[in-house]
Amino acid sequence: MAGSREVKRRIKSVENTKQITRTMELVATSKLKRATDRVHAARPYSEALHEIVSGLYSPELSEKYPILRRPEETKRAAILLLTANRGLCGGFNSNLIKEARNLMDDLRRRGIETELHIAGKKGVAYFRFRGEPILTSRIDVSDHPTVQDAESIVGPIRDRFENGDVDAVYLVSSKFKSVMSTPPHTRDLLPIQADGGASSAAVYILTPSGDLILERILPAYIRNAVYTALVENAAAEQGARRSAMKSATDNAGDVLEHLTRTYNRARQAQITQEIAEIVGGSAALE
Amino acid sequence: MASLRVRVVSPDRIVFEGEAASVVAPAWDGQVGILPGHAPMLALIGSGELSVDRPGGGSDTFHVAGGVLKVERNAVTLLTEYAGTEPPAEIPASARVFVEDLED
Repeated sequence: MAGSREVKRRIKSVENTKQITRTMELVATSKLKRATDRVHAARPYSEALHEIVSGLYSPELSEKYPILRRPEETKRAAILLLTANRGLCGGFNSNLIKEARNLMDDLRRRGIETELHIAGKKGVAYFRFRGEPILTSRIDVSDHPTVQDAESIVGPIRDRFENGDVDAVYLVSSKFKSVMSTPPHTRDLLPIQADGGASSAAVYILTPSGDLILERILPAYIRNAVYTALVENAAAEQGARRSAMKSATDNAGDVLEHLTRTYNRARQAQITQEIAEIVGGSAALE
Repeated sequence: MASLRVRVVSPDRIVFEGEAASVVAPAWDGQVGILPGHAPMLALIGSGELSVDRPGGGSDTFHVAGGVLKVERNAVTLLTEYAGTEPPAEIPASARVFVEDLED
């Protein structure tokens, strides 16, 4: 029967798909484990550095060092968008792209020029397709982002801020709250956001001096914000891929069940019909 | 005698965490020694050897490059661009800014 052969072929194809999505789910799970380990390993440095920077920071220093400058009005802003290099991870990339688009539209409505810096093939592909100029694009950041990756991504943008080419820098990436919750998130990278609890600086022996220490560690502070974002983004990507592949695998299971049932029903119908024909035939002979 | 709680942290991991009787770190202008009871301090770190003396004798040596050292209530935290048991093959560019032009 032609119908049941067709169904059989579809069963085979869905089985293959299921096997692939299942494998991808398992791969994402093991990568997710390593990626979350890296997220946790990066935290002590961030926390300690943040503490030191907030302790040393005071708004008066902004005149002295370009990296601390606080432009009175923002004429041009840079958006640094981090996406994944690969798809098949549900809404992960499109959520990030949407966040960046909203930010861009919002800034433009307020009369602020924008420029785009993107790390991640998916973001680059989208904005290139839309015809938006991209100032720097990076597609070579692996699943295991390094401090050097972060430095090479943010270094040129930091220089642009220091030279006064841009007055603000926004970072769009996924916040890794937990494996299940990784919302896209916009962070103000520059001008520096610090609480300036300068009180603690008073009791420390500062060598060479508070200003100089701050000036030297600020580039690392900015770099570290990007490094943390890269690491969290990589973990969020694997988490998103795992759940996308899990639902694809579950879905394939449902489809398989339905198809198997259709196939069995067709087979049963055929057998019943054959028996009826035999019984009918022998009845006619008598 | 009180001992120091020492943490050596690089951006991607904690390189060392433990108790120490004393620490000698390569500050921007030369070696700086820290014993228990040291006053609170923040210092820029250049590149060189960091040695951590264990309370029971013996010591660990690390190579660090660029960063900042914080001492507070017998807790020593060293944030550094590079830390390892081997000297870095090449001092990272991000570590170089910590030491250059500081003499002016």
